[in-house]
Amino acid sequence: MSGSRILAIARRIAQGFRRDERTLGLMFVVPLVVTALLGWVLRDTKDATVQVVMVNEAGAPGQRIVDALTTATIGAPDGVEVISHTDSEDAAKEQLRLDNGDIAIVIPASLPSDVLAGTRPTFTVITKGTEPAADAAAFGKLQSVMATLAAELAPPGAATPVIPKIARETVYLTPDADQVDVLAPIFLGFFGYFFVFLLTGISFLRERIGGTLERLLGTPVSRGEIVLGYSLGFGMFATIQIVFLTVFILNSIAVPAIGPIPAFSIGLGVDSAGSPILAFVIALLLSIGAVNLGIFLSTFARTELQVIQFIPLVIVPQGLLGGLLFPVAQLPDALNVIAHGLPLTYAIEGLREVMLKGADLSSRVVQTDLLVLAGIAVFFVILASTTIKREVA
Amino acid sequence: MTAAMSGSAPVHAVEAVGLRKQFGEIHAVDGIDLALEPGRIYGLLGPNGSGKTTLIRLLTGLAHATAGEARILGTRMPSRQALGQIGYMPQAEAIYPELSVGENLSFFARLEGHADRSAIDRVLDLVELSGRKGAPALELSGGMRRRLSLACTLVHDPKVLFLDEPTVGVDPALRVQFWTHFRRLAAAGTTILVASHVMDEADRCDELIFVRSGKVIGRGTGAELRANAGTDNLETAFLKLSGLDAEGRPLDGNEAVA
Repeated sequence: MSGSRILAIARRIAQGFRRDERTLGLMFVVPLVVTALLGWVLRDTKDATVQVVMVNEAGAPGQRIVDALTTATIGAPDGVEVISHTDSEDAAKEQLRLDNGDIAIVIPASLPSDVLAGTRPTFTVITKGTEPAADAAAFGKLQSVMATLAAELAPPGAATPVIPKIARETVYLTPDADQVDVLAPIFLGFFGYFFVFLLTGISFLRERIGGTLERLLGTPVSRGEIVLGYSLGFGMFATIQIVFLTVFILNSIAVPAIGPIPAFSIGLGVDSAGSPILAFVIALLLSIGAVNLGIFLSTFARTELQVIQFIPLVIVPQGLLGGLLFPVAQLPDALNVIAHGLPLTYAIEGLREVMLKGADLSSRVVQTDLLVLAGIAVFFVILASTTIKREVA
Repeated sequence: MTAAMSGSAPVHAVEAVGLRKQFGEIHAVDGIDLALEPGRIYGLLGPNGSGKTTLIRLLTGLAHATAGEARILGTRMPSRQALGQIGYMPQAEAIYPELSVGENLSFFARLEGHADRSAIDRVLDLVELSGRKGAPALELSGGMRRRLSLACTLVHDPKVLFLDEPTVGVDPALRVQFWTHFRRLAAAGTTILVASHVMDEADRCDELIFVRSGKVIGRGTGAELRANAGTDNLETAFLKLSGLDAEGRPLDGNEAVA
């Protein structure tokens, strides 16, 4: 094993990048742009008022409720506003189809008899159903509507039931932490993995098909030196990428409004509860695994296009199962087992522990994640080096 | 080398004993024995697909032999130590297009453990690329890339050189310079094996090795091979050794040719 040969390979990767502005852009600028865009979308999406169509099938008693709700929601103090009334479900559905409202609340014809009999009346809520997430948000806002309803439904003379307000506290982060704070650790893991895998895969494929690998093997360089040189070279770029992204995620610089440009901020300003250095180490271990996975998989590709074809095979499943979109613990059992064979799962878990919960090296979870990621990296280094001489030209 | 110093049988620069390589049903190299002496230039001649490249890959240890063995300067291949004594220029331009001419050279020099700048400048002069040292290799013409590839092969002063079609795409004037340099290297003790499918450079070699279908079918100086075949044309001599007449038809009417 010769340090100078490993360095020579790492250096040649760096020299190759220097002239390739587009790839440099992919490595360093794209993750920032995508992260910034996601932050913008998640934080500044308009919190639309839920527009309610009231359907009264219960005659005069119902109308009393409709009027009370209409009055109570003028100006949408709780993000809900009654915008129209009808007397049939079909008419209300037609209004929703025409986009004249987001939600319809049906006061049933059985309301008076229910109240007299002392049973709880059932109000039907109709949504469009095409945007489950928006529907769920609208449902959440009906809390204030419920309070008004309860007051109106109280039998004459009875005390108005007291409906408590709910205040929130959290163990980690703060109640006003948004999606961006929670997703930041995931961005860090995912970009470190995806771009490094893609670039190494293509780079090494070029060595194989361009004849330079053959030429390298005609020198005293060993397979281990090639793989380590690649890990060092791409690891260096992954390091810079992760540092850029970490700084961008954790800091925020406010830019005041200039002329027609409104004020905005650069960086996401997420508060990392734990050590950014530990988060960086986790992301770096993941990247080294990705370098060697790229080398290994380049054996099974004949063209650059075929390396791209590994993205849906290798990257997308990890995104789906690794905790990027859905919590790993909630996956079906069979998928949970698969998720625990994927490096991204451990990286995301570790990054969340560190950045969200402030875990340090004394945490069992972080220790396990670091060990597993290091083990996966070593495994891929060995796997990658075994593929290097195994081909017949 | 110890053997040479002690006065017993000299070590061959390149040696092959019963070398075979089979790819499925195809016998790419079919039992080749060779012993090449130091300081000579050998021409490995044969048509496309005759097994020249496979033979070189076996000799350099890049491919595993199905049977037999290869030795370079007395060391059995594959051996990473022996690779430091070898210069191998493959048929493909094995250079990095995104690196500059100088970076390509210093990269290969470092891998070979020769990091001195004078060696780089010397080979750049030889292939007449001194003026392009900082230019990215992808901006070079085809012939220039070929020259750079050769320079990368020579940068560590190898004792044994394997050149697979080194002068393809190189213009005639520079080709003469290449051969002058090859001759100078040989005089300094370097052994050179040049694979080619063109016969017009053959007379520059000290000795020719004709291969066909993975077998050596003739060996000797150009003059010897011509005299034995009773012709003044090497191509005809090759065809005759292959059992074909000057038009490529079988000499013996019964012999089938694929």
